[in-house]
Amino acid sequence: MTPVLEIAGLDKRFGGIVVADGIDLTLNPGRVVGLIGPNGAGKTSLFNLISGVFPSDAGTIRLDGQRLDGLAMHRRASLGLARTWQNLRLFPSLSVLDNLMVGPRRYLGDRLLRLALDPAGVRAQEAGTRRRAEEVLERTRLSGVAATPAADLTFGQQKLVGVARALMNDARCLLLDEPMAGVEGQAYEIMQQVVREVAEGGVAVCVVEHNVAFIRDLCDEGVFMFAGKVLARGPVADLIADPRLTELYFGT
Amino acid sequence: MDYLITLAIMIGLSVALASSFNLIIGYAGLVSIAHPVFYAIGAYVSALLARDLGLPVPLAMLCGALAAAAASAAVALPSLRVSGDYLLIASIGFQLGVLEAIKNVSVTGGAGGLTNIPAFLVQDGGKGAYAALVIAFAALTVWLNWRIAHGPYGRALSAMRDDETAFAGLGRNAVAMKVAVFAFGSGIAGLAGALYAHYFRFVTPEQFEILQSAALLTMVVVGGVRTTWGPVLGAVLLQALPQAITFVDLPPAILGPLQGLLFTGLVLVFMVLRPQGLIAAGEAWQPAKKYSAKTRGEA
Repeated sequence: MTPVLEIAGLDKRFGGIVVADGIDLTLNPGRVVGLIGPNGAGKTSLFNLISGVFPSDAGTIRLDGQRLDGLAMHRRASLGLARTWQNLRLFPSLSVLDNLMVGPRRYLGDRLLRLALDPAGVRAQEAGTRRRAEEVLERTRLSGVAATPAADLTFGQQKLVGVARALMNDARCLLLDEPMAGVEGQAYEIMQQVVREVAEGGVAVCVVEHNVAFIRDLCDEGVFMFAGKVLARGPVADLIADPRLTELYFGT
Repeated sequence: MDYLITLAIMIGLSVALASSFNLIIGYAGLVSIAHPVFYAIGAYVSALLARDLGLPVPLAMLCGALAAAAASAAVALPSLRVSGDYLLIASIGFQLGVLEAIKNVSVTGGAGGLTNIPAFLVQDGGKGAYAALVIAFAALTVWLNWRIAHGPYGRALSAMRDDETAFAGLGRNAVAMKVAVFAFGSGIAGLAGALYAHYFRFVTPEQFEILQSAALLTMVVVGGVRTTWGPVLGAVLLQALPQAITFVDLPPAILGPLQGLLFTGLVLVFMVLRPQGLIAAGEAWQPAKKYSAKTRGEA
């Protein structure tokens, strides 16, 4: 199987703090990988390095064989990398539908010249994006709140909007940063189902999550991180059962 | 009558300036107060090209607008790549620098101003025709800004203002958008400057100082930032009010300070009583109704 995302020898330090220490990681199409580890292990930092929030010191990141490291954040996204954020980062002044409509990989409406010279083309693309957004909202059971400002939703719904917005990219690789933190009830089921469906479509998915049950139910594999290093990779049940890792996790 | 036509021209130019400035500081959230310097660049470039190189005035005006747009991109590009905050500093520096250059270079007429700027339209169509041109230009500017703000570009600007990191994470190029919007707004200011120059046929650097920046900022803020009609109302009010009190029979020694007092007093009153401006912007971004109907396939 050709991996979608390939990370090799990734290093990053902020002064004396090492957040990534020679990380090697591959993500394969159709597979959901859970990233687990204690707070400060470097899980979110790894997402930030992959998506380009800050540059890496050394190492390579490849998406479908193409180098991502060194590219600006928006370039990486336009090559088919999508992510969500631990702290949501929705656009509060936009409705749920408009939050999604900013998300497609190609967005002609952000070019003034294009708007002036090819208004029909932009309109056609907008219409397509709207149909796609409505479909994603349907899948995430958010159709009823499409016109509501994102800021007015419950926390669980906002988490779903974050994931729905990321789905608009039709990404090859999807990074979900704590999609379940603070989410209960119905949103839990929907989240599981949506992520599963996305993976079945051939997307490589990586999830950072502290909710062990969620990881166990959802992920094909787990990766255990500690102090910026990948310590183990394997079935989630095995990682949870490993007394050495449990000790690191709970810091006893 | 001439007086009213000239007042209409001044109001029209202010509407275009305030409206395009609103696009930059309001919709795009770019903190710059150097709008008058792009107005100046448009005025000087157009005036010099027409006067010294004999370019037809409409072509010279277009060059003035393009020069203002290019200059603004040159200021915005390096500062926005670092951080948005640097734009304010860079733009003030640029404004002071350009005005200082204008004052000290002989080709621009120095501090005394540039004279004998070729006239346009007035000799054939009269001042009324020129006023109509300026008002049409102002209306077009307001319409364009409305289109931009309430279409897909405005949606993207709104998202960018809310959270630039998340915006970039979706694949949108925030720096490119900011530079484009800044250049577009500054180009409008440049064209307004050119229209000013070929009507009054005389420009001096002191018309484009920081005081003018403050006046423009007041028009946008008092009128209502991030609204279509706010800057229009602000521009009309702040151009017309100081003129209106000249009708009151007062000695010039009192009139000048009275205008200043009115100006600052207005800002203070608004700051306390209505900080959102005369027209308040809604919390949420609103697509144009016709536009969203079209993308839904209803029209």
